[in-house]
Amino acid sequence: MQARLSLRPRPAETSGTGPANNLELYAWLFTRISAILLFLMAGFHLVYMHLILGVDAINFEVIAGRWQSPFWRLYDLFLLIFGWLHGANGMRIIIDDYVHHQGWRVIVKSVLYLLVLVIIVLGAYVILTFQP
Amino acid sequence: MTAISHLYRAVTYRGREGHIAWLLHRITGIGVFLFLVLHIVDIFLMSFGPDVFDTLLFIYHRFLFKLLIVFGLYLGVLYHALNGIRVVLIDFFPPLAGYQARLWRVQLVIFALAYIPSAILMLSAMFDGQ
Repeated sequence: MQARLSLRPRPAETSGTGPANNLELYAWLFTRISAILLFLMAGFHLVYMHLILGVDAINFEVIAGRWQSPFWRLYDLFLLIFGWLHGANGMRIIIDDYVHHQGWRVIVKSVLYLLVLVIIVLGAYVILTFQP
Repeated sequence: MTAISHLYRAVTYRGREGHIAWLLHRITGIGVFLFLVLHIVDIFLMSFGPDVFDTLLFIYHRFLFKLLIVFGLYLGVLYHALNGIRVVLIDFFPPLAGYQARLWRVQLVIFALAYIPSAILMLSAMFDGQ
């Protein structure tokens, strides 16, 4: 009954209908690893911005000051990329659950991937090129 | 149409703790995703200087939006984070699966202990600023 956790990619099933798709294994693993990192990093981000600083205290100057340090730029870039890939993967699973028509699935997923790409590019652009 | 019937079945299926935990995880996940679209768009406005950024930041300083943060975003992120940790624990230590319902109850206690004081803190800061 007790299943053992195995992170080794499975060889192609002998009776299967196609090659084993290890992408799902890596997506599953990525979601868990990024979950732990986001728990710590997004947790700190939220506690700092909302409890210690408070939404009212946030303005252009505060963020410009924070981005003077390369550490916080990297921190925000990391949050952006890991957060959005984690979210994109979750939405991909949800689309698979509710959109069954093959054509619609391709369309909805394409919209999702395009949105995620645009968002990551916008966020990375401002984090990396911002000059006060 | 199938999407609606699937959604209906997801809500009405009686799977007790595990089912409720999963459903809330999904709903809060979608909610946080949607908020983050707005969040990246607003931070992108930093490129246009203080005038543009600070004038559009007024949305975040609105009373109603702050209420939404406390009772929507913060609540959703906290649930998703704690439930996610429970899922990771069960996935990496499969024998824990037998205790998933009990773990979820423990998780709800941790949720209340973390959420209630911080929500009070945020709400009192809101009223101080009025």
